[in-house]
Amino acid sequence: MNRLYIPLFLFLILVLEGVATFFLPADLIMGELLIVPHWLLAGLVFVVLYYDSENTYFALMYAVIFGLLFDMIYTSILGVYMFSYATVIYIIHLLKKMLHINFFSMILFHIIGIGAGDLLIYFVYNITDLVDMAWNDYLLDRLLPTIGLNLIFVLVIYPFLKKQLVKWRTTEQWK
Amino acid sequence: MSFFRNKRLLVFLIGFIVVVVLIGYSLGERDKLSTAEQLVNDTVGWVQSVINMPVGFVTNIYTNMNEFLNIYEENQILKEQLAGYKGLIYEVQELRDENQTLRDNLELTNSMRDYEPIQANVISRSPELWLEEVTIDTGTQDGVQKNMVVVTGEGMIGKIKTANQFTSKVQLLTGFDQFNRISAMISKEEGHDIFGMIEGFDKESNSLMFRIIEESEEDIGEGELVVSSGMGGVFPAGLIIGTVKEVVPDQYGLTRTALVEPAADVYDINQVMVLDRSLDVVDEDAEEEEVKEE
Repeated sequence: MNRLYIPLFLFLILVLEGVATFFLPADLIMGELLIVPHWLLAGLVFVVLYYDSENTYFALMYAVIFGLLFDMIYTSILGVYMFSYATVIYIIHLLKKMLHINFFSMILFHIIGIGAGDLLIYFVYNITDLVDMAWNDYLLDRLLPTIGLNLIFVLVIYPFLKKQLVKWRTTEQWK
Repeated sequence: MSFFRNKRLLVFLIGFIVVVVLIGYSLGERDKLSTAEQLVNDTVGWVQSVINMPVGFVTNIYTNMNEFLNIYEENQILKEQLAGYKGLIYEVQELRDENQTLRDNLELTNSMRDYEPIQANVISRSPELWLEEVTIDTGTQDGVQKNMVVVTGEGMIGKIKTANQFTSKVQLLTGFDQFNRISAMISKEEGHDIFGMIEGFDKESNSLMFRIIEESEEDIGEGELVVSSGMGGVFPAGLIIGTVKEVVPDQYGLTRTALVEPAADVYDINQVMVLDRSLDVVDEDAEEEEVKEE
């Protein structure tokens, strides 16, 4: 049963992302800034940091599955989010060994994750000619505000999610 | 999990090939989504509409409270306007009757202006803001089809990009590019209408680009209403698109482009209508053939 909680939670985030922009004030969306909720990626980073051990690849598996679902539901261009989310989660899985995981390294991993994830999406969309945006505009109008607003989301769910994930991991190990 | 460590490169390569194939597959011209995608979209759409109920309830209370604050002033203005409308209603009724009689005389049944509205609710907006898509809760089961126009009370907001069984995706006006053209016109007196095409959305000036094909004697003024002309495609005629903000020459100086501000607010939408034009394009061709035969 415990194994089901994480996919269910990720699915809930995935669905909520679709209504996320309704909560943001219209001025913010109307303006120059493009703030993209990467809540699913943030959830996956939490899973890789606090649930996965060095030899398990649950987060990577979920990144592939839910990335593909995201593509199907929200963009209809299959593979882009799947590719970038999976790559980012794999990189963080490798980097995790180098740092002791505490609050500050958690924030750092999230900045790396969301930054790299969004960069990969920009890169893929750019080479497929779906988006035509200059690098400078992208950096200032999309990348930095996106990282900023997603960090707020990370801070909001951090206390709750960390406790739950550690609990699930320990009950999993007892079996 | 030694499999991952030993064959990491192989897994990566296969994954990369799969991704490239998937992107290539989905970038091609697709009339319909695959069955798996439709199934996922409909299932998630159902969950989203369940989640949307409390969310919509909360946001409704919030907007209602905002509206209460200036309800008195609004009421005063509306009362004044209402007095003016009474005369107009009578006039419209007369014109409608006359139009109907004339049509009956000519034995015309459907015009490009007639349409069947399909009511729909917006259940989600794509978090990928580059794509400017929203999902609505009606699909092919309710008669929605690809390329149909989507409007709100204020005006046009977009067209159907893909229609699934129970949900559909709407491409918003702000995400239109040169592949999503709308034939449009500015109505003038005595047949001096100005025709043209809406050729995409300009992010910098936040306006639609209306390229004028047929120049008339008159100049286009600021604030003139741009409506769909109903020529080509499946859009009905006479739908409000927006108002002219500015007229600029194009890069070669041969034609002019009007920057059009969309009439509807595409960021704050809950209820929309999908319009099914009563006059089919196919029927039009058939009628023409009949005329030729005669």
